[in-house]
Amino acid sequence: MLHSFVLSFRLRNAYRVNSILYSLKQIPLVKKILPDRLYQSKALKILGNIISILLEIVNIFLGKILYLWLMIYAFLTLYPTNPANTFLHLIFFLTIAGALMNTYMFNPTKDKYYAMILMRMDARWYTVSNYLYSMLKTIIGFLPFTLLFGFLIGMPLWISVLLPFFIAFTKSIVSCYNLAVYQNKKQVINENNPPKSYWIVVGICLLCAYGLPALHITITPLVFGILFLFFALCGIYAWVKIWYFPYYFSIYRFLLANHSIILSASEQKNKVTQETTHKYIQFDARFTSNKKGFAFFHDLFVKRHRKILTLAIKKQSIVILLLFLGALVLLLINKDIHGEINGLLLTYLPYFVFIMYLLNRGTTVTQAMFMNCDHSMLTYRIYRTPRVILGIFRERLKTLISLNLIPAFILGSALTILLYVTGGTDNLFNYLVLFVSIPAMSVFFSVHYLVMYYLLQPYNVQTEMKSSTYSLVQGLTYFVCYFMIDLHLPTFYFGIATCIFCILYSLISLFLVYHLAPKTFKLRL
Amino acid sequence: MKLVIENVKKRFDKKEVLKGIDFEFEKGKIYGLLGRNGAGKTTLFNCLNEVLEVDEGSFYLVEDKQKRPMEDEDIGYVLSTPNVPEFLTGREFLKFFIDINEEHITNLKSIDEYFELMKISEEDRDKLLKDYSHGMKNKMQMLVNIIMSPKVLLLDEPLTSFDVVVAEEMKNLLRSIKKDHIIIFSTHIMELALDLCDEIVVLNKGVLKPIEPDRKSEKAFKEKIMASLMEE
Ligand SMILES: Nc1ncnc2c1ncn2[C@@H]1O[C@H](COP(=O)(O)OP(=O)(O)OP(=O)(O)O)[C@@H](O)[C@H]1O
Ligand SMILES: [Mg+2]
Repeated sequence: MLHSFVLSFRLRNAYRVNSILYSLKQIPLVKKILPDRLYQSKALKILGNIISILLEIVNIFLGKILYLWLMIYAFLTLYPTNPANTFLHLIFFLTIAGALMNTYMFNPTKDKYYAMILMRMDARWYTVSNYLYSMLKTIIGFLPFTLLFGFLIGMPLWISVLLPFFIAFTKSIVSCYNLAVYQNKKQVINENNPPKSYWIVVGICLLCAYGLPALHITITPLVFGILFLFFALCGIYAWVKIWYFPYYFSIYRFLLANHSIILSASEQKNKVTQETTHKYIQFDARFTSNKKGFAFFHDLFVKRHRKILTLAIKKQSIVILLLFLGALVLLLINKDIHGEINGLLLTYLPYFVFIMYLLNRGTTVTQAMFMNCDHSMLTYRIYRTPRVILGIFRERLKTLISLNLIPAFILGSALTILLYVTGGTDNLFNYLVLFVSIPAMSVFFSVHYLVMYYLLQPYNVQTEMKSSTYSLVQGLTYFVCYFMIDLHLPTFYFGIATCIFCILYSLISLFLVYHLAPKTFKLRL
Repeated sequence: MKLVIENVKKRFDKKEVLKGIDFEFEKGKIYGLLGRNGAGKTTLFNCLNEVLEVDEGSFYLVEDKQKRPMEDEDIGYVLSTPNVPEFLTGREFLKFFIDINEEHITNLKSIDEYFELMKISEEDRDKLLKDYSHGMKNKMQMLVNIIMSPKVLLLDEPLTSFDVVVAEEMKNLLRSIKKDHIIIFSTHIMELALDLCDEIVVLNKGVLKPIEPDRKSEKAFKEKIMASLMEE
């Protein structure tokens, strides 16, 4: 058994060291300095090992102190009961809840997958030895802090000493119960997806834990002592069962069958994005297209992505319309606020830059364009000819601008009408500026997102977003728009400036796209 | 017509994958590109398709003794993984490519005839491509490239996911179109390479080497290829 444990420990350590080195390599600056043969370098291996050991120690102790502190100690002053008894009470019920949710044994993790499925290590020895190790970590990890907190609140020493064992016993009882469930019902319990009954028990435990002390009810040391004896007996029985249990391999083969555990977090996130993006596609035989060429292609894209295009725009328009009607009614009832609103309308135009930013769905749409369309189409060389790229760009631009203009015009009109209703303005141009500048912003955002997509094409073949320039531009866009919230300028001047900026920006960026996109818009490996 | 590759080099970080590829591919032949896993076949294709930029060297077409760079229309690339836009039906996918390329396509057939060619059944033709099977997606990918009929056709392990009937038909199809094309065909199946290809080229240690056919016996030829693949 020791041999099997040492082997699995070294295996786990090896890939942990590798993933540490890998994450080091992801930091842009470090990437330049470190050579590609990184994984072979001795010194770095040692560094990785040190970090790995530190992480293991942090893993043993840090979680425990945070748990005892934040979930238990921090609550003590809230209750009228004796702090030592409250502490004991909380830890008792939380332990039962935690044991159900966190068994270690029924958690499908990568190290188990590597060891038992890929390396075919003996499942029983692997599980038992690592289980003992994890119980040892639980006890050692908790002991210093139960002693510490126990000392702080004046809990009897014997309780502080027994608590870590109590936690370990309870966990083992749950694991043993789960094993019995498998043996009797052939049902494997995944701790990341526990059955309903577990949730109910957890709910009851949480209620008892945080509810009863408020009613002046807590466990007393005597009750705990008796319960501990009972749990200890059951726990020892459970350990015997766990030791001799013969079907670990079958359980893990089932538990680890889920392919997603071997993907890293970022890969998993990417997979989720990919799947959600694919789900945007809706097929309805009624929607075909009698257009031709680029227009045909794009028309179908729009029709099959109604969810994120036309339907989303429709929703936005309705919401804006309703808000506008609400505001109108409010203004008709309450004449006192007219002056104030009128003033706002004449100085708060910058605020609407942020609103327009939020309304525009450029990021989602370009992402869908890539994942559902360009990702595969760009592998066809003919799709990459300047003629085709620009032809499709034109179609997309037309759609994005015209779709986004609908809510923009509604909002523009609404604001203009509100300005009129609240008392109007001396300068008639204010109406015009208000009415035009909102659509201008909308055009700007439509152009901006699409142009950035064509000029930077930030996705790689695995459909991950990889371009830091693109992230930077997106971040900047956000910050500039956010900054506008606090900017109060006369609507007249700001509106005119906005319109001029939007026209210039659109012209320049379109010029750039026409000259650069055939080169920049391609797959990245 | 010839495709000439001159001293093409490509490295990833420190790893030199292509160490100076020199080769002339001629029209009318199917070239079988063999190489171990990781030898750089896909990398070479990606370079020719200008998805990757080469570090050094160049490649160009020679037509009527005239050198000219490869244009987008000159090249088609069938990847080993299926790449089709999931939101279109098979029919719409073909229609789009035919639409945008009408003036270049000679002896255009009807879309259904093309489906016929690939043995894609009628009930599947108006389904979304996302509901196609792996092999069917690959068929569509291949079909588009055959309709476009580019001068240079790069095929990266294309027949592996086809059922035997279609694979056989594809072989015949490739043979029938080869006289007007340069076809480079990467595969791991030696029998397929020997059966279909007119020339065998081995990519090993970053260089491309033709293997002279052994007229006397197939067995000797195979051994020669193996030896060349395994050279360290
Ligand atoms: N984008 C990349 N970044 C870094 N290294 C790469 C990249 N693409 C390929 N390589 C490396 O280049 C080498 C050649 O890869 P390539 O995919 O061209 O091989 P291949 O001959 O197609 O192999 P297979 O027969 O398995 O398809 C491999 O060692 C691979 O690790
Ligand atoms: Mg390959």
